[in-house]
Amino acid sequence: MNQRELELLSAYLDGQLSPSDSTRLESRLKSDLELVSVLDDLRAARNLLRQLPQRRAPRNFTLTRKMVGLNPPLPRAYPAFRFATTLATLLFFITFSVNALAPQFQQTLGFGTGGGEPEVFSAQAPAATEAPALADAATEAPIDSTNLAPLPTMMPPSEGESARTLETPTAKDGAVGNADDQDQTQVASEAMPVPVPFIPSVWLIIFAVGAIVGAIFMAAMRRSSINRWK
Amino acid sequence: MNEQALITDAQAGNLDAFNTLVLHYQDSVFNTALRILGDEDQAADASQEAFISAFKSIKSFRGGSFKAWLMRTVTNACYDELRRQKRRPTTPLEPDTEDGDEMDSPRWLADPNMTPDQQAEADEVEHAIQHCLNNLPLEFKTVVVMADIQGMDYSEVAAAIRVPLGTIKSRLARARLRLRECLQGFAELLPASYRLDEGVALSASK
Repeated sequence: MNQRELELLSAYLDGQLSPSDSTRLESRLKSDLELVSVLDDLRAARNLLRQLPQRRAPRNFTLTRKMVGLNPPLPRAYPAFRFATTLATLLFFITFSVNALAPQFQQTLGFGTGGGEPEVFSAQAPAATEAPALADAATEAPIDSTNLAPLPTMMPPSEGESARTLETPTAKDGAVGNADDQDQTQVASEAMPVPVPFIPSVWLIIFAVGAIVGAIFMAAMRRSSINRWK
Repeated sequence: MNEQALITDAQAGNLDAFNTLVLHYQDSVFNTALRILGDEDQAADASQEAFISAFKSIKSFRGGSFKAWLMRTVTNACYDELRRQKRRPTTPLEPDTEDGDEMDSPRWLADPNMTPDQQAEADEVEHAIQHCLNNLPLEFKTVVVMADIQGMDYSEVAAAIRVPLGTIKSRLARARLRLRECLQGFAELLPASYRLDEGVALSASK
């Protein structure tokens, strides 16, 4: 028996032959006992396979959402909230960074050492403008202080010298007082820097609030979707 | 069960609809995997993998026989499992006989609720057939499992494993021939009505 005959018998067994092929094979089966026997064997083998018990599945193979990585359907507004929250967070950090770093950059680059002071340092202006006023007051003071007693460390001057002393100490005192006042002013201005933010702080607050509110809304939306989904 | 409606819903992401299909087909899928792999635990794992894979790719189902499409998925899962076994071979959990030969049907794995005789009668034919199936080349085994055990017609089998109809006919005939030869060795185990004529079988196979 060749392969072709075996295929014909197998297909005949399953009713897969064309009517003409079936008729031809049936006529051969009437005279060829070997073909009949092989057909019987194929039928017996097929029946054995069909007789195999169909086992029940040992458990249900139904899928859970976790198994297939499904996420709950989120509201349509969710992506808009996500975008807004991300943007607000980003802007908050940019604003914060700019305000924190801008003065240092400006100092590093030497802004304000030339003719005009940058706006950033304008907060020091009030302290600086007080200094000349004090200095002026100091220069005017000797008019009233001419009658003050000479400094205890000074030797009693002669008459000529006393007249000069009356004038020069005034100028000297004025100059010394002026210098001291300027030093004090400088120290005061260095000790109390009041930086002005590059971007107004109100924006910082707006972005922070936007980011927090957006995050809260997103969390609430997600939780609500999951609860509905369950 | 409106299968087409369930498929459409499942394609839209409805897991409940897909699970209804799972419940309907899980026995067929499991039995196909069991006969290809010859091991219940592996068959259960392959079936689960097949359903997960089927859900993820159900959008690619373009109509036709859903069972055939599902069978393709489970045969692919079985092939993956067999490839894995090839990479990491394991020792079969089967005891040796006194002569050192491996027993085909270890009795010590039998169901304790049945008497030994009942267990033997119930298992002998099945084990003999499974043994012969395991000895078939994989492509023959897949065809014979689908056509003769699952009762799928030729066109469904051809669609499931994506080979021409003529190839299905050829593989099925050769698989049946090899099974017949193999089952000759278990003639004494088979019921009288299924015993094969050894003389004719041998002459036919020449």
